This record gives sequence, structure tokens and C-alpha cells, in this order.
Amino acid sequence: MQDSRDRFAFLGREFLTWLWFASETNNGFVAVPELGNVRVEFGQRLTLESAGNVREGSTVSADAPSQTEEARTALRVGKKVARARLLLDLGERHFEVGLDAETLTYAGVKLPALMAGDDAMKTEERLRLLDEVENVVDSLYLTFVNLRRDEAQWEPVREALRAWVQEVAA
Amino acid sequence: MGIVAGTVSYLRFVSGDLPEGFEVRFCDALNNHAFHEIDPSTDVEIQRGWVRFDDAFEANFEPPTLLDAGGHMLFRLRIDTLRIPNVTLKAWTTREERERCVKLNRDKLSKKERDQLKLDVKKKLRLRSLPKMQLVEIDWNVSTGEVRLAATSKAIAAQFIDAFEKSFEIKLDPVGLLKLLALRGMKEDDIDALARLEPERFHLIRR
Repeated sequence: MQDSRDRFAFLGREFLTWLWFASETNNGFVAVPELGNVRVEFGQRLTLESAGNVREGSTVSADAPSQTEEARTALRVGKKVARARLLLDLGERHFEVGLDAETLTYAGVKLPALMAGDDAMKTEERLRLLDEVENVVDSLYLTFVNLRRDEAQWEPVREALRAWVQEVAA
Repeated sequence: MGIVAGTVSYLRFVSGDLPEGFEVRFCDALNNHAFHEIDPSTDVEIQRGWVRFDDAFEANFEPPTLLDAGGHMLFRLRIDTLRIPNVTLKAWTTREERERCVKLNRDKLSKKERDQLKLDVKKKLRLRSLPKMQLVEIDWNVSTGEVRLAATSKAIAAQFIDAFEKSFEIKLDPVGLLKLLALRGMKEDDIDALARLEPERFHLIRR
């Protein structure tokens, strides 16, 4: 099956919205198979969009945008997360990634400080860290898709997510 | 700023299978499609080609230096543009025309003379202009086939895919929402089954 950006764009927006829900309802942590608990926060800038041909967007710029009234109201009216800046902690390491839900474009990726000495080793370490952050984001996405495609597992999550949307917006 | 330092923005791709002895073949491909400077005395406006990762002016690739220790190929796509903006060209042509008329003691030039003058002015301006240079970093992990392009513009991505596929004769696919699942080991049947999913409404009122 070919990637069809329009047809499956909703998966990306649902993924980032679920990620917000999953992290907020579990003290900022999301459990990922093989990686354990990953700390996920939403930083600086959050864009929510409605679906359909005419997309209405809300972009919130704040230190903790997911906590703002504007972002929560956008959820309540049916918008989903289209772009987010994810702050990811994996053990001692801290990563920041701007992620576009539809294209999976990585924007303004910040990696932990390098430990290596010479240039060649620094390059190698940077590439390993990029692999690592991609692995985290990919694993989070895979976790979501595996939940989403299994109706028995997804049904209680859907209900909890809907309840959360009502609560956060109340 | 980029793949090896600072913050980085990028798009992900995945290449098809690599052929046997790809180091030599890919070096040839890079050298055959290496960057060449625009000759300002010609009409060429855009030139693109590969340059080394560590030197924007070096386009000579050799197999022993192609891969770093982690099995990555690092190189850059250089795109130069030498285009005289219309406003600039028009202003300089008008000035030259005025001077020529004074010199010839005439009110105006013929259309043919004006057209020739415009070409001469354009040539002169090209000779004294520097091309706009774009350098885009590429990281190709040859063991997984995954490619990072340190750019997010659709236009650059299109140039890159075209240059990559023409140079290496290997197909390159963007890593999108479905491709990523295949890349991470999801079975094709399971990916196909996602076609049954419809978008959820999370904002429904609780029953």
C-alpha cells in the first residue's frame, strides 16, 4: 500500500493527540515496549487543526502550551494536534523534536550534549543520537497504531480519551 | 546547524536495496553527478550536484573515504542559482539605453537594438554576480537504507529525490505515516488493514 497523505493524515493527528492524553494521564510518562517509560512533555508551540477540506487551526505559543485554555478549548471543538514540539526524556538524556503529524517532518531537533572528543567520534555520536530519538518517536507511533487497530484494546482508550477531552476543557 | 552540529530539521527517506560493491559504484555515481560551477558567460541559471560533506568546493569522491565508521555516507547536495532579478535587469537596461541614446544622439533605440542591449546587460550583470548557494546535508545509512535530508522544503526535497534517483539509480521513498510502519516491521497485511480505519471523534459528548 502506498502512503496516501490525505487518506491517512488523521492517523498522525490522532497519534499526537493520543500522546498528549497518554502523557497527561500518566504523570508525564508513556510506556513504550522495549524502551520502558518515556517522559513526554509538549513544549513551546502547539498547533491543533480541524479535519476536512477547510482546516481551521489554533496555534498556541507558551512554555506549557498543552496546559493553556486555548489548546484545551480547541480539543473540545474537535481539533486535533497537527504539529507539536515534543520534549522527550529517556533515562538521563533529553531530546527536543518539532514533529509534523502528517509528514513526520522533524524540525529543530535538539540532542543531548556530546561526550565524544574528536570530530569523527562526535559525528558518529550525533548520528547515534538521531537514531535514538527517531527510535523513540517511531516506537511511540507504533505503540499508538497497534492500539488503534485493535478494537478490543482501543475501545476503552477511546472512551477514556473522550472523557479526558471533556474534562480538560471543562 | 545541521546533521553534525546544532539543531537540525530534516525529512526522512528510505532507499531501495543496495547493490553488491556499492562503494565503488556510488563513488562513480557521485563523481558523475558532482557539482560544477555555473559559467556566468552562459545562460545557465541553476546548477546542482554533489559535493563533499566537509567542503562545499570539493566534488571528488573516493571509496575509502565514502563511509564513516558507523556505516553512514555523508555528502551534500549543492544547488547554485545565478538569476538576475527582473527589476535589476530592467533598471540597468534602461540606464544603458539612456546612455546609448545620448551617445548616438537619438531619442530611442529600435526594438532589435533594445533586445540586444538587454542581452548584453544581462551578460554583464551575470559576470559580476555571485550565484546564490544552497547546501543540503545528506546522511545515508547504508545498512538500513534510511536517508536523512537536512531540509524541510518541498522544492528542495523534489530536487534531492530527482538527483538521488538519477545518480544512484535506486528508488527513494519518503518515510510517511504508513512507510514508517513497514520500516519498523509491521506486516504488509496489517498495514493494508489500516484502510478500514476511519477518523475518530474525540470530542463527542459522553454518553
